[in-house]
Amino acid sequence: MRRLAAVDARAAALYLRPGLKATDALAIVPGLTTAEAEPEADAAALTALADWCVRFSPAVATDPPDGLFLDIAGTDHLWGGEEAMLADLRGRLLGNGLRFRLAIADTAGAAWALAHHGPDGAIALPEGQADLLRPLPPAALRLDPAAAAQIERLGLRRIGQLIDLPRGPLARRFGAQALMRLDQALGRAPEALSFRRPPTPWLARLAFFEPISAPEDMARVTEDVCAKLCARLEAEGRGARRFEIFFHRVDGKVLPLAVGLSLAGREARRIARLFAPKLEIVDPGFGIEAVTLAAYEVETMSGRQVRIETASEAAVEDGLAPLVDRLANRLGSERVWRALPAESHAPELAVRRARPLAEASSARNWDPEAPRPIRLFRRPEPLDQVVALTPDEPPRRFRWRGRVHEVARAEGPERIGEEWWKQAIDDVSVGQVRDYYRVEDQAGARFWVFRAGLYGDPEAPPKWWLHGLFA
Amino acid sequence: MLDLAAMRAKIAVLESGGRAGHGVLPLGIEMVDAALPGGLPLGHWHEVIGDGQEAETCAAPAAFAALMASPLARRGEAVWVLRRDDLWAPGLTGLGFPPERLIQVCARDEAEALAAMEDALATVGVAAVFGEVEAVDLTAGRRLQLACEKRGAVALVLKRRPYGGAGKREAAGSTCATRWRVASAPSEPPAGEFGLGAPRFSVALERCRGGRTGAWILEAAGTYSWEASDAPYPLRLVAPLGDRQLAPAPSAHRHAA
Repeated sequence: MRRLAAVDARAAALYLRPGLKATDALAIVPGLTTAEAEPEADAAALTALADWCVRFSPAVATDPPDGLFLDIAGTDHLWGGEEAMLADLRGRLLGNGLRFRLAIADTAGAAWALAHHGPDGAIALPEGQADLLRPLPPAALRLDPAAAAQIERLGLRRIGQLIDLPRGPLARRFGAQALMRLDQALGRAPEALSFRRPPTPWLARLAFFEPISAPEDMARVTEDVCAKLCARLEAEGRGARRFEIFFHRVDGKVLPLAVGLSLAGREARRIARLFAPKLEIVDPGFGIEAVTLAAYEVETMSGRQVRIETASEAAVEDGLAPLVDRLANRLGSERVWRALPAESHAPELAVRRARPLAEASSARNWDPEAPRPIRLFRRPEPLDQVVALTPDEPPRRFRWRGRVHEVARAEGPERIGEEWWKQAIDDVSVGQVRDYYRVEDQAGARFWVFRAGLYGDPEAPPKWWLHGLFA
Repeated sequence: MLDLAAMRAKIAVLESGGRAGHGVLPLGIEMVDAALPGGLPLGHWHEVIGDGQEAETCAAPAAFAALMASPLARRGEAVWVLRRDDLWAPGLTGLGFPPERLIQVCARDEAEALAAMEDALATVGVAAVFGEVEAVDLTAGRRLQLACEKRGAVALVLKRRPYGGAGKREAAGSTCATRWRVASAPSEPPAGEFGLGAPRFSVALERCRGGRTGAWILEAAGTYSWEASDAPYPLRLVAPLGDRQLAPAPSAHRHAA
């Protein structure tokens, strides 16, 4: 059945409401113009608006179908207060021809209630949301419509009446959800919003009277905004591992760029230099009107001490850390690593990739007495034409990559069980044992081969594989 | 009056175009150090290549390069630039190379690999940079050389062809200081023991600026033991190969390192 999904102001004046059957609506207003609802397009538009709002705070959560939450803790001072920030947001939204209602409060619940049912532009004082919420209807608590209707039917038409009720009966009668929503609105219970980016109070912002677009201007403002945020980090003895810069275009699009550091840092020039090679992918369009920089993974960082006696030895902050940062930002952080031991019996799982410089190896190193190949194939390669005399013997001859190798010397077996305890009990069998041999062919090439399965077991016939190459 | 060593030093300064030398890394094998200018020259780049299947898998050349440079890796950091990420750290441990000092980088293409090498070479605290690339043309070689000279780091270029690739034609000239052709050689277990002995390599020094060429069979000293990482010299001589008439009178070529 087709129903109205949304109506404009004139339709509302004709008593059309969302949820009305389309046929009834046409009966009431014969000349009604309708258009297909496009929920996906609405969601995309909301997401775009959320991205645009990054100029006010990096932490923006969407509240489908038509709401946005902005966590402005620590960012309103950039506008000189909440009122000025709200006025700026209002002006920009009006300029885009949007219809909206705004509210600021301590909690997401209270802000939602004020925006939907309170006076437009309401700003609740810190800890003062309860007084503003009292006159609002229970529906302002984000309850599902049935629960809200039930509450109103019992004569509770104001949130204030709910606040005054004893908690026990309230929960019993209207369910735990009503109590939770009330607590969330009043700041007595936490509420997790799924922000598109983690909230951070570390934000710097530069706005321009004249939109900029020249590459050298972009480089300069990048440096300026880095300097601004880094000065704040420095003043509080902090450093950050991740920085994200947002270029706000005149047409409302936001272009983000991110860089990561291997050690927490706050050197503006170094950070700006990491952004520099990525600036060319930013298309300024008709111009950039503002730029914001957010810092994540902020941690305490003491000032560096210059040690005189080791001045000749390079400090990691001077050389290695910037190198790792440059490589990780150019190639992607997963392409730069340090190998650390991992506790595992399966050879291919014995190495863990760690962020270079991020952690010292605490685990034991690999046992150097167990010979291990220098090249390990991610997937063992099958061997064919394998000749082995008896079940426990290493192969005498095998073919790999189209070439036959005659084995001159061999060592083994080293039995390595697969990690059967990680699998379902039904999948466990003796076929999961691998017998590894180190073999050398007549030319001196050394291979790491293994036999999976056992002779004489019809369910798991033995098969030979090459897993790695020795020096 | 100029004696021979002083004259040699003077020539070396002229050859390096006025830049101060960065010293050498002696390998501790008299015959090899004599062919080299006293040891592996620091502040230069070196080529290590393999033949046949080794040109694709690059196991023996990689192990040889790691062994040769392991004293450097104990002094500073090492960076290994890969194209395929099949280098396995436990294998390096067995050879006495400290993998905890190694940063591995996997580049997407040849140009990126060379750029990462240059970047690492110019970094304070990096002593050795390994790079697995297919070819180094004259321009790239010159850039590598300049990067090496900045901090006196050593670059070891492991020539490696992609699997199944036809392989590029060798560049006509090269600016590398030395070129080593490495293949694995049959090992010899200690008397009365079975199995495999310490890894052996047949190594040909095909090109050596300020030195001579030569060919030897070398063996990794003290592999697969807890003492592997303490060996002062990671390689030892098994036998010289090839034209023995070129074998030098060792005393004349000893350099203080």
